[in-house]
Amino acid sequence: MTDSEDSIQQLVLEAREAVQIAPSTTDLTAIETRYLGKKGSINELRRAIGSLPTEDRKTFGARINEVADTLAGLIDDRRNALQQEELHTRLASETIDVTLPGRPLPTARLHPLTQTSDRIKEVLTGMGFEFVDGPELEEYRYNFAALNYPEDHPAMDEQNSFFVTDEKLLRTQTTALQGRIMSERRPPFRIATIGRCFRYEAVDATHHHTFHQVDVFMVDEKISMSDLKGTLGTFARAMFGPETLVRFRPDFFPFVEPGVDYAIHWKNRWLELGGAGLIHPNILQAYGINTQKYSGFAFGLGVERTHMIQTGVNDLRLYLENDLRFLKQF
Amino acid sequence: MRVPLEWLKEYVKIEATPEEIATKLTMGGLEVEGIEESDLGPVIDVYITPNRGDCLSMVGVAREVAALYGVPLHAPAPPPSSTEGPVSEQTSVTLDAPDLCPRYAARLVRGVKIGPSPAWMQARLEAAGQRAINNVVDVTNYVMLEMGQPLHAFDLDLLHEGRIVVRRALDGETILTLDGEQRVLGPNMLVIADGRRPVAIAGIMGGGDSEVSDATTNLLFESAHFNALSIRRTARALNLRTEASYRFERVVDPEGVRRAVDRACELLAAMGQPQAVEGAVDVYPEPQSPRALTLRIRRAAELLGMEIPSHMAADSLRALGFEVGTQSHGIEDALRVHVPSYRFDINIEEDLIEEVGRIHGYENIPETLPFGSTTQGGDSVQGRLITRMKRLLVECGLQEVITHSLTAAPTFDIGEEERYRVPVRNVLSTEVSGLRSSLVPTLLDVAQNNVRRGQHGLALFEIGRVWRNAGVEDGKLNPVEFVSVAGLVAGPLVEGGWQQGGKAPVADYYLLRGVLEKLFVGLEIDNVAFQRPENMSDQLQRFHPGRTSEILLAGHPTDGVLGEIHPRVATKLGLKERAYMFEISLAQVRRALPAEGPGYHVLSPFPGVSRDIAPRVLESVEFGMIAEAIRGANVDILEEFRITDLFRGAPIPEGTKSITVAFTFRASDHTLAEGEVTVALANIRSALEARCGATFAA
Repeated sequence: MTDSEDSIQQLVLEAREAVQIAPSTTDLTAIETRYLGKKGSINELRRAIGSLPTEDRKTFGARINEVADTLAGLIDDRRNALQQEELHTRLASETIDVTLPGRPLPTARLHPLTQTSDRIKEVLTGMGFEFVDGPELEEYRYNFAALNYPEDHPAMDEQNSFFVTDEKLLRTQTTALQGRIMSERRPPFRIATIGRCFRYEAVDATHHHTFHQVDVFMVDEKISMSDLKGTLGTFARAMFGPETLVRFRPDFFPFVEPGVDYAIHWKNRWLELGGAGLIHPNILQAYGINTQKYSGFAFGLGVERTHMIQTGVNDLRLYLENDLRFLKQF
Repeated sequence: MRVPLEWLKEYVKIEATPEEIATKLTMGGLEVEGIEESDLGPVIDVYITPNRGDCLSMVGVAREVAALYGVPLHAPAPPPSSTEGPVSEQTSVTLDAPDLCPRYAARLVRGVKIGPSPAWMQARLEAAGQRAINNVVDVTNYVMLEMGQPLHAFDLDLLHEGRIVVRRALDGETILTLDGEQRVLGPNMLVIADGRRPVAIAGIMGGGDSEVSDATTNLLFESAHFNALSIRRTARALNLRTEASYRFERVVDPEGVRRAVDRACELLAAMGQPQAVEGAVDVYPEPQSPRALTLRIRRAAELLGMEIPSHMAADSLRALGFEVGTQSHGIEDALRVHVPSYRFDINIEEDLIEEVGRIHGYENIPETLPFGSTTQGGDSVQGRLITRMKRLLVECGLQEVITHSLTAAPTFDIGEEERYRVPVRNVLSTEVSGLRSSLVPTLLDVAQNNVRRGQHGLALFEIGRVWRNAGVEDGKLNPVEFVSVAGLVAGPLVEGGWQQGGKAPVADYYLLRGVLEKLFVGLEIDNVAFQRPENMSDQLQRFHPGRTSEILLAGHPTDGVLGEIHPRVATKLGLKERAYMFEISLAQVRRALPAEGPGYHVLSPFPGVSRDIAPRVLESVEFGMIAEAIRGANVDILEEFRITDLFRGAPIPEGTKSITVAFTFRASDHTLAEGEVTVALANIRSALEARCGATFAA
């Protein structure tokens, strides 16, 4: 009895020490197998039960189970401790330099004029305007005649144009769309267009032979200059901020009467943005629209100008130069 | 127009500062572009819109100032001449072209001594930007600037027969003009002639042969009204623009003709020169009566969006020189308005509404929003497609650029491409000699410029209009406009990171093809294919013959092309990296779009089985043939396949390659049995053996 208790004590002592000094979970698993495995020391003791006197077997068996539980507990504790340690070691060894730059991925943007056009579209669409595209190579009649330009009038001096044939020229204004729309639609309508225009001009920081223009117009019953002012005000506040004011100044364009030049008050300055007015009755009448019942307004806006105001770009030529260092700024 | 305030204040008494006047004028419709100092004090520079010829004079501007400030206008009122008197025995005016010259008045002054004009007049002329010449010429210029009516002074003794004939020029007739140029005239041009020859190009410039000189003693002053369109066309044809033609083109007051010439005689006499010969010759066969218009007060309020009381509207119009009476227009409050002879821009009621609105002040217009029918806002179908495509291409890492439509002819084209180009007719500069027929040259131009600036690694795209000449009909161009989509990659798509030793893979055909495949997946276009063109057409001359493909969408050929830029072109442009480009017209993409959005199909709950095979084939066997053979095997459990490796070199014999293809098999209604997959793979293998001469490693 004492002999076997001694050997049990000895076993526990050995095992406890082995578990405590086990350097890794792998070593611990080997120790676990050595003591608690199928062929381990505990099972060896169990096999010896059969050779004991019957009256001792029960006590001895219970003693072995107790020892097995003790050992299992010791191993579990040690394993938990080792796992913690190993995790810490791994985390410590896996530290990276988080200040190194990231893996490069391609970056690209929409052209700034597209970004500005998209915003203008968003605002006007929300106000019920439908965007329609017109041709850049436009018919003379839509670009001038349909817009109430008298034949050979000095007003056309201001827009020396690029002609391709007798009838076709590169449009000098997106306003050219108005005749196209009115020849096929009846009021009420709210139309907008954005596109490229061309005028024969010497190129410098504020003039270009190619530029982009928004044209907005609507025809409905009882449309007035105050509706124009309110629409422009709403539009300008969406584009430039809630404090923006709009001002009219009389100006002349053959296709509007009254005609105005409108400016916005933004960051303590008045900035002229474009031409506007009520659509000239001659145009409405030419397309069979009853001017006693219907009236309409129109306004224009430069896309480049809008972007320049918003960002401070100071040279119109940059937009079509496509210097990537410029484009990537926006 | 330069307006010295000292001069202006002769006609309108105001105390305001130059800045206040400038603001008032600008907000009233005459835009002041600047205020300058002169020997005569401040000069305001006013921009006159083309419709306001009546404001091209001191009196015209003064009338606006008077109306805007509500103060009286004091216009010059010279003693009016009569058409009786000795003058009609001393000269005559024959009007042979009354359509181009509705009125012509002349007065004579005898015994003039040519000398300098008085200092006050010279100072005013100079402040207004006009050089002083001599007393007679200065008087004509002074009256033009004061009243807007251009005058001309002839040396009466140099006029043959001392008389004036207003007629069309003879074809090829010549005149030596004041500027020393010999000018050839045509039958559509109006001339002032004497008894023998032209002595002035009407309304534009006088002739050198009848010019007032120091020896002149007898004068004939001309004051006339000419047809604006005729003056404009003649001035343009002769490329000769003068202060006179500038005003006549914008219409001068026909009723001011006599007053102006009388004013000239008055001013000359006031300088100590002789009084004019009594009377004026004034040929004016069809005097115009003033237009009468009705202005409804209610209508004005409706269109302006602000109320202007009837009496205020009437006051504004009167101040501008309109005659105003009241009129009952039904039950409405209305004004009966007679338009002054100098206001050619006032023809309809809306013109009057603008006048009363601007004098009342547009700052008084409130902001309202239109009410009435609700309209559906939105972008056009084409606009929405373009937006989708732009976003997809940007997602792929391509930067959007916007290039010029007007371009020089590409320097790298050979032969036929040029005939598609649409030239611009009236342009001299080669930089803008025509319209681009493709986005390929303009994108290459962007690439070249950015490479020169030290950029490497380019990924660009553009969606824009291009034009092609669809043939010449009756000698006329037939330019067709359409939207094109194009992209370019060259060099590494990204900077090489530190993990790759600073090196990144360089763009190739397959990178740009991947971009296009992603674009078309994004647009839900099926059956996208790329195939070698049967021949290199004109448009393909810019591309590498071995590295170019045509694009098929929804199973149909398109005008789309994807390929490497021909080394000849790349070398010419100084591109160091190989450049790959695609271009396709938007219409062809739009045609391939599915009519309906993507449908839903039920996902199979059964597991898929993956297998690889690696057929070896001859180099000449392209992947397209292998893919074709796999599809041709008609294996119904084949869900998808893709190439995962392409290998050349030992142990594979030279001239052959090994292609690894990964398959996924799946059935929608059961879990596949191993046997089914084995049979399927065997079918694919035999198809590859039969159609591609494939062998398989043992």
